[in-house]
Amino acid sequence: MRVTSHIEKIGKLQGLRQRLDPLEDFELWFWAGMTAGTHAVNAALHHAGVTGDDDMFATQPGVYLVAQPDGSMKNEFRPLGDVLHVGRPKVEAPVPDDVAAMMEQMEIIEHYRDPCLREGMAPTASIVKECDIALHSCMELLAARLPGVDLAS
Amino acid sequence: MQVEAHIALARRIEASLRKCGDADYEMKIESAMLAGTHWLNVLLHRLGTNRAEQDVFHTYLLTINEFRRLAVAAAPALQALAEIEDIRPPYVRGNLPGGEQAAERALGLLSDIRAAALGAA
Repeated sequence: MRVTSHIEKIGKLQGLRQRLDPLEDFELWFWAGMTAGTHAVNAALHHAGVTGDDDMFATQPGVYLVAQPDGSMKNEFRPLGDVLHVGRPKVEAPVPDDVAAMMEQMEIIEHYRDPCLREGMAPTASIVKECDIALHSCMELLAARLPGVDLAS
Repeated sequence: MQVEAHIALARRIEASLRKCGDADYEMKIESAMLAGTHWLNVLLHRLGTNRAEQDVFHTYLLTINEFRRLAVAAAPALQALAEIEDIRPPYVRGNLPGGEQAAERALGLLSDIRAAALGAA
């Protein structure tokens, strides 16, 4: 998906995240942040020329929902465009240091995904702080790569 | 995970969902997926199909054999979650027009899964 579309998604998700209580609404707060961060990594990977920015939507690693000439959508095998999560799939091509750093920040967040959302680990203020700092760092790195782009709206 | 823990998490997600507006369709769809998965696990545990330590994460991560086995007991709920999962790529990861309507569909499917789980009590 185009960088501008990823930026729009980030703005929406960050806006919602700010309306949620990090502990009371942890699950949605976390998920909105993780999704925003994944959009940020995809935008950075496209901007760096590492992955393609075609308007096609990842359904599973290597498979994308692609618009057809008749307007319908169809799953097709395609070269790497958007990743579903950082690490899914692994980006095999060389990645610039700043984008690699963004991915490392997202791995900090992803580390809590299944334990807190699916396995019953109780969210804590410490987890909230760790995830918040990681997402903030990820967004700062994107902002540095895309100067002049407003990531908050 | 135990039934009570699944219910508690599903209820928490559904409470947060009420803070989403129409434009927040991405997280409405994701909430339907997350809460729907917990409700599906409630159903499968209550039916005795899966033990507490045998949770479904995503239907597409199940083997075909396991999907078919679970469908014997809970086909409509399983298909409902699969449909929610299919709504995610174009509207959450992607920007296909119609996200608000897709979110309403996802929430309707979530209601169906929840009703099946509560009906199995």
